[in-house]
Amino acid sequence: MVDILVVLLPGLILGIIFGIILQRGRFCMNSAFRDIIVLKEFTLIKSVILAILISMLGFAVMAFGNIITLNPKPFAPVANIVGGLIFGMGMTLAAGCASGTTYRVGEGMMGSLVALLGYSLGAYITKSGAWSEAKTILQTYKISEVGTGANLTVFGSELTPIFMLIIGIVGIVVVLYFWIWPMLKSRKTADNKMFDFSDIGKKIFKNGWSWAITGSAIGILALFAYVSSAATGRNYALGITSGWAGWLKYWITGLDSALSWEVFLVVGIVIGAFISSMIAGEFKLRSPKDGKRILIQFIGGLAMGFGAVVAMGCNIGNTLSGVPLLSVGSLVSTAFIILGAWFLAYLLFMRK
Amino acid sequence: MVDVNDILDCRGEVCPYPDVKSKRKVKKMGSGEVLKILIDYPLSAERIPETLKSMGNEVLSVEKVGNSEWEILVKIK
Repeated sequence: MVDILVVLLPGLILGIIFGIILQRGRFCMNSAFRDIIVLKEFTLIKSVILAILISMLGFAVMAFGNIITLNPKPFAPVANIVGGLIFGMGMTLAAGCASGTTYRVGEGMMGSLVALLGYSLGAYITKSGAWSEAKTILQTYKISEVGTGANLTVFGSELTPIFMLIIGIVGIVVVLYFWIWPMLKSRKTADNKMFDFSDIGKKIFKNGWSWAITGSAIGILALFAYVSSAATGRNYALGITSGWAGWLKYWITGLDSALSWEVFLVVGIVIGAFISSMIAGEFKLRSPKDGKRILIQFIGGLAMGFGAVVAMGCNIGNTLSGVPLLSVGSLVSTAFIILGAWFLAYLLFMRK
Repeated sequence: MVDVNDILDCRGEVCPYPDVKSKRKVKKMGSGEVLKILIDYPLSAERIPETLKSMGNEVLSVEKVGNSEWEILVKIK
């Protein structure tokens, strides 16, 4: 039986909130990474950086307060590099990262639904099916901390929490000073109001959110997610891949045990994005006109599933939740997710 | 009403095709011409006007014409 009060409801509720934030903030790391080179646009990446910094500071504070125990992912260089690259190329083909693809299903994008099916399938068969051997081989070579055997973090298991605190605080101050303050100032000269709370309902549910609001909301949500998820025995913050793999596993095997906190989280994201896009008048069932594009999105999804399981995390598990823990594995995976995305984006969108 | 010289239909297109296509289209068009872009993807509806503006073009209007459908009018610099 699934525990309703500890697993189902908290996962679902946090998922719905996450879905609303993702949809309102159009938070997609695939776009964030790609825009840097294709459109020379930095808005979304600012959201990502702010969310990571807030999580980093929050996780450190909660760890010092004994509310959570930090649990960085292991460093398996070959797996992180190969998995990251394949995931990064996959999300370019699938037209969305793990979180982007998930929330767009809630907006009614059928191409993303197909990508999501590929993603769930790829993740499941890499976890426990025909592709699991490749995963095992790629993950064999692991580097742990000398002496303690702990998973490798940038400053070592003793100092990393302190550095998370320092980098978190300094980073947030830098973001406030260089990005948010100029934005507020320019708003002030434009209409004489730095904060305008009129039409607040319209601003929340009808307009797209500014990157600063989106980034802060996700960073803070991640803190609640860590506590809620740890209570179910999954000692980690947000994640997507295992959620969809578990979801598929449940339908195939019928095992209640497959229905983890993460499964309800990802289902919640779809529901949240659906609610939010309905209110904003942005829900529409639509699909790419070109049949080939749908096939490409499916293949992209498969690659994402494989890459994420091999690299032990997608852009949420590794980038959003793992980078704040300063896990070397998550940092390397993130670097190669970005390189993979850039490589294909260059081939597809920048040549000619 | 402004005279529209060309229409680019990006409905149904997935991220980032609307953005990339509009950018390429605008580059091909002549100065002073007006392009109408049809979009049904929220992120692009917000971002395309920004991108085109930063390229120096004049965005005449962004209008929400239906459920998740927008029309963008842009005058090429």
